[in-house]
Order: sequence, then structure tokens, then C-alpha cells
Amino acid sequence: MMVPVRCFTCGTVVGEHWEEFDERANEGDEDPEKVLDELGVDRYCCRRMLVSHTDLVDVVSPYQ
Amino acid sequence: MSVAYDVEFVEREDRDARFLVRGITPAFANGIRRAMLADVPTMAIDTVRFVENSSVMFDEQLALRLGLVPLSTPPEGEFGEDDTVTLSIDVEGPATAYSGDLISSDELVQPADENVPIIDLKDDQRLEAEADAVLDRGKDHAKHQGGVAVGYRHLQRVAAVEDLPEFEDSESRIVRGVIEDDGELVPTSEFDHDLSNRYPGKDVTVEDVPNAFVFHVETDGSFTVEDLVTRAAETIESRATELEDAVQL
Repeated sequence: MMVPVRCFTCGTVVGEHWEEFDERANEGDEDPEKVLDELGVDRYCCRRMLVSHTDLVDVVSPYQ
Repeated sequence: MSVAYDVEFVEREDRDARFLVRGITPAFANGIRRAMLADVPTMAIDTVRFVENSSVMFDEQLALRLGLVPLSTPPEGEFGEDDTVTLSIDVEGPATAYSGDLISSDELVQPADENVPIIDLKDDQRLEAEADAVLDRGKDHAKHQGGVAVGYRHLQRVAAVEDLPEFEDSESRIVRGVIEDDGELVPTSEFDHDLSNRYPGKDVTVEDVPNAFVFHVETDGSFTVEDLVTRAAETIESRATELEDAVQL
């Protein structure tokens, strides 16, 4: 649904980086690896939180 | 304590630091690490009263998300374990509710990160809620965990012993952390964690320096690294005093 606020494994706050990551790597055509490096998301536990996330709010909202 | 501790910072930022401590035992280093994770009280939202929630998420889900938002934790002594700080949020769609929309009743307790999306609101959806933040420890709930990815490694002493034989290729030698070379501290990231980059054509020895540990500490934004480490040391002290009092006849 919404991006998790914190990394499940280490507890770093990752939610704040989602919108920029989505805009640059998913919508845009930048390399996700470089975007994550620039955002300061270093560990692979935090990186998978953003890489593997799909926003489902738009999909769910008509059925409310 | 007969041995003096020696603390030296290698990297130092507000939320992220690496420092070397000499003269501590592995057991004490681990004690500090565990205290930083589980025993330093931080502020986090604990109870939420929803006035209106017509978003696509349930009240409980939103309460969890609000709880995970790091709040700046006031200096010690300002708040007790039972005190609460009320924060309110009121956002009407179409918009996204961010952690920055939380309005706190106390200046000392503010969201540490302002751009955490709480919930995406569509037309005619609204989120209005009142939340109580309390002071608690990491061992009770992960949202109260101030230290994030806290760890330590031995300081490693590296010495170039001799030249490699003329026709031998140097192999990569990966080390992570901080190395000591002639008393100089060098983070391994400076040479891409590969000793063959720093000492090309040399045979090197790597050994652990006894009782010297390099801590890598990150915080979630509740306080600075410095605060976290001192408060962790204080919790160990207070528990040791408690034990001493209990043992006394």
C-alpha cells in the first residue's frame, strides 16, 4: 500500500526517500543504483525496501 | 577504573559517526552496543485517537505508521516515563499527509523527519487525529529504538612486511572498517576496502589490536550520536547502581 516508514531489518527511516526515488528511478530513466547512492540509502536491507515497493493506494481507492 | 578509556572520532556527523575506543573489553563494547539499541528511551507516538479517517488504510495501520515516525527526544530530565506529549494531524484530500503535518504541543518534541508519507488522500478523504507520544525503550517496541544499525569491529593494524616476489601478481585483500597504519587511522573506504590498492606490490600483515574497537553508530534522528552514546553509558551505570543497591545487605 504506502511505502513502509522504516526498514524492516535495521530500522532506518526510508519512507522519506520514496517519492524522490519513484520519480527518478521508476518514472524517470535514472539508474536505481545511482539514485539510491545519492539518497544515502547504503545498506542492502534499506535498498530493497525502496526497490521492491509498489504503491497500491491508487489501485485500492476505488473500492473504498 | 584503572585503565583510562581513549575515544577518538574517525567520522563524525549528527546522525552518523565512527569512533575508536581503546581500553575496553569485548564484553563492555557489546554492552554499550546493546544499551544503544534497547535501553535508551526515545519519544514515539503510542496512542492515537482518530476523529476522522476516510482514507484507504485502517486506523491501526495509520497508528503504526505514525508511531514509526522518529520524534526529537528532549534532553534528559525534561520528561518522565509517564509524561505524554500530544500531537495532532489534520489533512484533507486530495493531498498526501506527511510526518511534517504533525503539530506538536511541545517545542522539544517535533518530527525529526518531515517528509515521511503517512497516507495518500484522494478526493473527499480526510485524516484528522490526535496522538500521544510517550518515552519508552527499544526493548519494548522497535519504534523507540534510537540507535540504528549500531555495530563495532576490532581496530586492525596493518603493516607492509616485504615486497612481493618479482613475478607474483598481487591479490586483492579485502578489509572493512578502520585500519591503523603507523598509528594513523584510515577508514578502509579510502582505498576501496582493498589493501592491495594501498600497498601495491607489498606483502601485508593484518592483526586485530587488542581491546580497541571501532564503533559505527547511526541514529534515527531522535538525538545526535553523541547523545545516544552518553545516554547508553548512563543506562548501564544506573542499572549497575541498581544492582549494587540490591545486593547490599
